[in-house]
Parts: sequence; structure tokens; C-alpha cells
Amino acid sequence: LIRDLKIAVVGLGKMGLVHAGILSVLPNVQVTALCDKSRLIRRFSEKVFRGVQIVSDLEELSWLHPDAVFVTTPVRSHFAVAKALLVEKIASNLFVEKTLAQSCEESEELKNIAHSVGGVNMVGYLRRFYVSFSKARDLLLQDAIGRVTFFKAYAFSSDFLGTEKSGEASASRGGVLRDLGCYAVDLALWFFGDLRVRSADLSSGSGCSEDSVKFEVENSELKGEFETSWCMQDYRLPEVGFSVAGSKGNLQVSDDQVNLVLASGESFRWYRHDLNDSVPFWLGLPEYYREDLHFVRSVIEGKKAEPDFDAASKVDKIIDEVEKKAGEKN
Amino acid sequence: MKWKRKRVRKISKESKALLVGDNPFHNVSHLSQERTRLRERNLVLPEHAASLITEAVDNGANGFMFSISDTTLSILKVLREKGEIGRLSLFAIVPYAYEYVKLSTQVGGIPGLSKKVAARIAFSGNIKAIAMGLIGFLRTDPLPLMKTYLTFEISRIRSSAGKMAKLQSVLLHEVITDLALAMNMDWLFKAHIDYMLRLGIEPGFNTCNFAFLTRRFKEWGIDSSRLSIASPFNKVGFQMSPSRQECEEALESLSEPALIAISILAAGYLKPSEAIDYIAALPNIKGAAAGISKTIHAQETFKLLKERLDR
Repeated sequence: LIRDLKIAVVGLGKMGLVHAGILSVLPNVQVTALCDKSRLIRRFSEKVFRGVQIVSDLEELSWLHPDAVFVTTPVRSHFAVAKALLVEKIASNLFVEKTLAQSCEESEELKNIAHSVGGVNMVGYLRRFYVSFSKARDLLLQDAIGRVTFFKAYAFSSDFLGTEKSGEASASRGGVLRDLGCYAVDLALWFFGDLRVRSADLSSGSGCSEDSVKFEVENSELKGEFETSWCMQDYRLPEVGFSVAGSKGNLQVSDDQVNLVLASGESFRWYRHDLNDSVPFWLGLPEYYREDLHFVRSVIEGKKAEPDFDAASKVDKIIDEVEKKAGEKN
Repeated sequence: MKWKRKRVRKISKESKALLVGDNPFHNVSHLSQERTRLRERNLVLPEHAASLITEAVDNGANGFMFSISDTTLSILKVLREKGEIGRLSLFAIVPYAYEYVKLSTQVGGIPGLSKKVAARIAFSGNIKAIAMGLIGFLRTDPLPLMKTYLTFEISRIRSSAGKMAKLQSVLLHEVITDLALAMNMDWLFKAHIDYMLRLGIEPGFNTCNFAFLTRRFKEWGIDSSRLSIASPFNKVGFQMSPSRQECEEALESLSEPALIAISILAAGYLKPSEAIDYIAALPNIKGAAAGISKTIHAQETFKLLKERLDR
């Protein structure tokens, strides 16, 4: 018999609630504690989530000896919280929402600490669990479009379109590149391997934080372009997509569809409907279930989870490079 | 405070609820976002949406299922002004999750969102809602706060739709329903049912986990025959968790019709005829909802639904 994993969630915002919900229905998991520093949130949580311990800080959490912890606090506190959890040996198995930290330096430090502590670590780059991106990666691995020479990636939303205080609110989320563009960067690294930044351009509507970013990348085999903005008309929901050119055809993939056009003239299209998008429990999006299940299984089986802190550090490295290149340009 | 239970107005048991869904009016497509960018812009205009709904009603629809937003409230207002509102039963879904998620992104998460919502309720002038909200806040009790919010949303519908409108059901949005389901929050389901019945409104739940929900309801002793449960049902099993087969088995196990089938066209993936044939063959169907983006869709889809479901 497998003992239930005792999992705690730190940070009771939107993502904390979604993960707590999914974890509650996963087999072999017991949500043992929810942690938030806000007294008001804790007082309501005690009445809403009956039967779950509500705690105020990591010290209190440590008394409960969780097997794993989900860190879903704002990005600016990921580093401090994750480091404390590892260093103080509160938990060795960590899931941290994206991005892992606010800089590559912090991510690298967390990665090294996690290596020395052992255990399973993972970062919430949810789009790896979309059936469309998973299908696209399979096609690329199967060499469906031959040698890839060029790609264009976008990550758009209308979250801050027309808002008056875009700068202040957007800065609290770390800017569009860290908040939304990171998904496209992570997928690009997953699809094409390591990349380096050639040039970058940031623009801001308010001066507090960037609202749109364009940058170019390359490696020894291909070149790529990224564009990300959260002030885009007609992107009701955040959306990430790629156009990939290869020697034998082209591939287009977004959150909800995959199009493959071969040089021979044949073309194929897959929607979510065609790609077995079902999950045992649906909360918000089916990807959350697949993501959390992957982490839990990795912990139970003692296997490496993906994307882990190593992979997430590479995303933070690209983001740092983009900010540096854009700074040099400006 | 003692409440007097009001009688719930129901679409008669013999006839099915054939509902116009609001997704196209919010420019939502669960097939692909690209599709929404190719749609006609006037789809989100209340006048155009209201004329599509009227066309659907002329062809067999008898209700409108909608999330409460500025867009849908404007549509209700147009329907009232045109004298069409009395021909429809209203099935409202709360909260309009998209709006609140976006707002929370803009104002810095749940604390900022809570302040915004509290301010909206306070400025609404709805004394009952304000008083309940204050009690809930002072006691940090979620129940009065939930009732405050529901009272506020219902008052928005009534003020847009007018006295002639039949508010048949208020359904909790899938994000709330499914989170509460996952976290074993039976008290929330019971509180919603109790409060709605006291207001003379049919309680409802929108869920993507129909089989899980009906199983839990049986465990918790909740009688689903008094409810509207809106959940995806379609031939290809799109958004049906954990599987089409398990959802069908759960449906069969109900003692009385409670299901309002949604996503019946699997977001436009299926042709109306094949989609409706599948729905018509299911047991315990209380009704079905379908979104429409063109006049021809309004005519074809609801003629078919009326012919095959409402026999």
C-alpha cells in the first residue's frame, strides 16, 4: 500500500486554490495544509476549507512535516519561500509556480540548493501539458517537418489593454515577459534546445514595466523571433503560439490547435477534440490536472519531474539576457 | 431571519428547456481562439445578439443561459425594450469567471479583486446585499458573503430584464462548483440550494465533472431532481470528465431529469444534426443550450432541438 503524500500549498491566490483543488482529488494525495500570510485570507479559509490545516508561516508548516509543498505566492517571493523550504528542510519535494524566481542568479541558486537537498522539483510551465504543444513536440521529434531552420513565437493577451494603471499592476506581476512570455520561452527551449539572445526591444505604455517585448534568438541550427504583449486586441484569453519552418514543411501550433503543412502539399489539422484532452477531474483547465499528476507521480516514484529547476533556470537566463540586451539598446 | 420559501417557477416537466447560450456574444470559442478573431464584430453588440435570440425563440428556443456580464445585461435590456423578454426563461451563471480573473490580474490578485467587488456592491445601493455583506465581513463568515454576492447579481438581472422576466435558475459557475466539489465543500452546495429555493429560483450548478458531482450529491443527500445541472454532453466526449461513458452512466442513474446539456456541438466541431441526435437519445435530459453566431444557425439549431428533444 502506498501511503498518501501529505502536500501543503503556500500562497492562497488564484493558482494556490486551483492546485489545492486538483491535489484534493488526486489519488494518493492528502492536502494537509494551506499557508498564507494574510490574516483575513486565513480566517476565511478556516471556514471555507474545513478539515484542512490553515497556517500562517513556514515555521508552523514545518511542524506538519509535509512530503511536498506547492509554492504559489507572487513571483517576487518564490526565491525566499522555496529557499527557506529547502534549507530549513521543511520539504525536499517542491513545485513552484512559474517563473522559478525573479532572476537567473536566484534560479541558479535554488537549482543548486535543490540538487544538494535531493528530492523532486518542478516549475509550473503549464503549457507543456497542453495536448496541442505536446503533439507539436512529438511531430518535431518525429522529424515531420525535417530540419528546423526558423520559428516565430508569440504570447499575447489583452489583460492590460486599455487599463489606466497598467504599469503599477503589471510591475507587480514582473512584466509581460516574466508573466506571459516565459511560456513561449520555455516551450521554445523544450522544442529546440538551448538558445541565445541576439537582440531585444522592450516597450512600455506607462514606464513602470514593459508591456510588450520583441526579441530574436539563435543556436547553431536555427533562428527564432519572439513577440509578447498583454495589450493585444482580440486576445480575450492569453494565448501562446508558434510557426515553425522546416526543410520538409511547416508547423503551426497554438493553445488549441496544430496545423501541419508538408512540402508535398499534404496538410493536417488537430484540435483538442482530436488529441485526447480528457482528464479524470476538470478544474479550470485540463492541463492543471495533468501537471499536478505528473509532479505527484514523480514524487511517488522518485523520478525526475519536467520541467524542473534546471529547465526553469534556462528560461530565467533567457529573460535576463533579453532585459540586458534591451537595456544596452536603450 | 426567517425566510418564506417561494414556489419555484418551472418550465413544465413535459417541455424541455431549449436555451440560447451566450458564448458567441462574449466572443468565446472553445474550438479555437483564432476562430473568434475571424468572427463578425457585430456579434458582441447587444442589439445584434438580441435579434439572434429572438430568431432562436421564433424557431423553438424558450430560454437564455448566460453569465452575468455588462454584455449580457445589455442584451437583456434590449430584449425587454423590444417586448421579447417574457418569451424567455433566464438561466444565469454566476460569477462571470472570465471578468473576475481578468480583474484580479489587473488589480493584483484576490485582495484587490475583493475590494473591487465590495465597492461595486456598496455602490449598487442594494441595502439587503450591503447589510448581509457587512455581517459576513465582520464575522469572516463566507455564507453571508455568498448570499450578498448572489443577491447583488440577481438584482442586476432584475434591473436589466425588468419585472416581466422569468429568472428560472441561478447556477454557480464551473470554477466555483468544481473547486467546491474537489474540496468537499458540501455546505456550499447546500447553502446555494437553500438560498435559491427561498428566493423562488431553481438552484443550479455548472460543472465539467458531471459524474463526480452526481456521485457526491448522492453521498451528501442532495436531491438533484430539484436542480439544474449544466454540463458538457456531446458525441465526441469533449470536456466530459472523466469520460463520455461515465457521464452517460451517471446521467442514467438520476431519478429525474436534471441535466441541461451544454457544449452539445463540441464548440462547433460537430454538425447540429449529428450533435442533436446524440443528445435526443440521452435519458434524464431537462434541456440543452447551444450558442449561435448567425441567423441561419439560430433557425436550424433550434428547429432541430425543438423537433427532436421537445417531443
